[in-house]
Amino acid sequence: MNNDLIYLDHAAATPMDGRVFAAMEPYFSHDFYNPSSPYAPAVEARRRYEEAKHSLAKNIGAKADEIVITAGATESINLAFSAVTGHVVTANIEHHAVLSAAAGHDNTIVSADQHGLVPADVIKVAIRPETELVSVALANNELGTIQPIREIAQVIKHERQTRLISGNQTPIYFHTDASQGIGQIDCNVARLGVDMLTINAGKIYGPKQVGLLWAASHVKLVPQIVGGGQERGLRSGTENVAGTVGFAKALDLASEHRKYESDRLQKLRDKLQADLIAAFPEAVVSGHPKHRLAGHLHISFPKIDAERMVFSLEARGVLVATGSACAANKGTRSHVLMAIGLSDELADGSLRLTLGHLSTDENTLKASQIIIEEIKREFDRTSR
Amino acid sequence: MTKVYVGMSGGVDSSLTAALLVEQGYDVTGVYMKNWTQDMPGMRCPWADDLADAKRVAVQLGIDFKVFDFENEYKQKVVNYMIDEYRDGRTPNPDIMCNQEVKFKLFLETALEDGADMIATGHYARVVSSSWAAGSLSGHTLQGTAGTPVAFGSPSATSPANKPAARLKLAADTNKDQTYFLYRVTGEALSKTLFPLGDFTKPEVREMATKRGLYTASKKDSQGICFVGKIGIREFLSQYVEQKPGLVIDKNTGKTLGQHDGAIFYTLGQRHGLDVGGGLPYYVVGKDMNKNEVYVTTDLNDGALWKTDIRLGNTHWINDAPSPGMYQIRVRHRAKLVQAELSFEESNVRLKLANTERAVTSGQSVVIYDGDICLGGGIVI
Repeated sequence: MNNDLIYLDHAAATPMDGRVFAAMEPYFSHDFYNPSSPYAPAVEARRRYEEAKHSLAKNIGAKADEIVITAGATESINLAFSAVTGHVVTANIEHHAVLSAAAGHDNTIVSADQHGLVPADVIKVAIRPETELVSVALANNELGTIQPIREIAQVIKHERQTRLISGNQTPIYFHTDASQGIGQIDCNVARLGVDMLTINAGKIYGPKQVGLLWAASHVKLVPQIVGGGQERGLRSGTENVAGTVGFAKALDLASEHRKYESDRLQKLRDKLQADLIAAFPEAVVSGHPKHRLAGHLHISFPKIDAERMVFSLEARGVLVATGSACAANKGTRSHVLMAIGLSDELADGSLRLTLGHLSTDENTLKASQIIIEEIKREFDRTSR
Repeated sequence: MTKVYVGMSGGVDSSLTAALLVEQGYDVTGVYMKNWTQDMPGMRCPWADDLADAKRVAVQLGIDFKVFDFENEYKQKVVNYMIDEYRDGRTPNPDIMCNQEVKFKLFLETALEDGADMIATGHYARVVSSSWAAGSLSGHTLQGTAGTPVAFGSPSATSPANKPAARLKLAADTNKDQTYFLYRVTGEALSKTLFPLGDFTKPEVREMATKRGLYTASKKDSQGICFVGKIGIREFLSQYVEQKPGLVIDKNTGKTLGQHDGAIFYTLGQRHGLDVGGGLPYYVVGKDMNKNEVYVTTDLNDGALWKTDIRLGNTHWINDAPSPGMYQIRVRHRAKLVQAELSFEESNVRLKLANTERAVTSGQSVVIYDGDICLGGGIVI
């Protein structure tokens, strides 16, 4: 990346780690083989592919034959929803991938609270005897709010016991999209208590369009992409060896540095938040005050058009997001901000600042100064 | 300070328009007009990038920026008109309709209501100030640029007195001139309009935009009808009208040469897209919408392809109707101006051309000029 730029949008995309790129590089050229081919070099590629899958599985406390490599998180989410045909429960702050998948089913969309938190008891009330799937993301991509996944898992466990006693044989699964949280939160599937987990490489300094779905052995997935029968028939297409090797390396690095990096980013974020609030006491921070991703700051400035700020900050070399990149592209207000009851004025003045590997003490401080200057300049312009 | 609302499409022309007006000391507000686009479920909306580009330039210039939502009106007045015209076997021009109904009517009215004194667009055309036009409105004889004295303010003039009005003049860049698309706007609307690009050529505009570091300086020009987008007119229309196969008939021999999938998709003079193979190329020389038949010929000199006598209905004059006499006309955008003798036949206009013009077809606009002044025009009957 251009060194003059200050990147504050790690929740949208992350730059690939040099070590990840180095791990992938041979599989583009020297070891390009199709893992299904019979000769020795291809068998070696197959071995490396399986090794990468084992490594990925180990990192989330799962078995390699329970994961399906997909082209990113969206595909993984679509595959997760293939496991059921009946009623599903999800929340109104979920990513479009989940909401769109849920729209194809009989569904109940529960409401998050004003912090974007989905309380377990709200899920409990929404579950019906015929509910087959609950899907709640580990961390919200716009607000950074971390959901009480373990508590929701308890609700589902309890529901399962109730069904067992009452003779209701409808299975119920719990899926979480952890793509936004995996860099900062340990995603051991047993500890989370989920039946299905989605993660991807693009948010953890790995390649884009590489993700996975872990599904416990009792979950019956229906392939969404059919063909040559790769991935145990659950996802056809020649295996993405380079991408999967890179994904494994990226997850290894994320696990290794998780604690240190979370602490570092939290300090940076807290300072950034404090500086901005000091300059603009009327600004509103959204997301849960405590249960929030370390590098995540969602902040709204009344009477400011955040889209203008994206462009004026871009001109000063600072790259930020408005509310949600997806929502911004569609020219509509973010469904997440509407869901948490943020006023239109605040929603329109919302910036999402997300820190990560590229953030340093110096450039974060510089960014906060530039943001303050540009917002003041905009206030001056509009009050002329 | 004069408050000007600039229609900003996210292209280089309207970006520079806004920049020039800021430099000239106007109080400028950028406006993105949201026109109708086809709803593609689940798809990222196609106009988002253009809107973002327009807004980015507005921020760069430090001006206010608004979005006017004209989707419904645009659909009714422009898109439906176009579909209806095609359905009736004619070849309409939606850009002309867009200027008449949306940009120089709805946008102007909405901007004025919102506090603007004037509007501006990035069209390549010039407005001649109202004082000049007011003089002509009083019936003075002016020296036409072609050298013939032309009397304005004929008895058939319909403009009410005392209304401010301006004249429409060709752009300095005759290659880019867009007055053909503007002939249905009113002199009154023009009196509240600025065309800052009218004195410049396209290369100059690119250069000036680059010099000013405008984000859109090297953006590619948009092509074709905006709402039809990349799919092309034929595919667009086929979503609104039933495709009915019909016969392609040789006009001279009466022989059936093949089949087409709907007469509405064909226009006079058209050569391509006919499913008749082999030999000399065939040209469309007529069609019967009731029978759904298309008539073709290989004769390049076929009378139907060439016209020296054109009748126009639904005429519109920017200022007053001209007196009968010799004028210059243009039968399509960027076509050469040619001499024609204008006379009136009841409410219609008749044009006798000195030389023949090719493929002048029903529904198409013919625009009439007196030297470098665009007077108005009408639609071929």
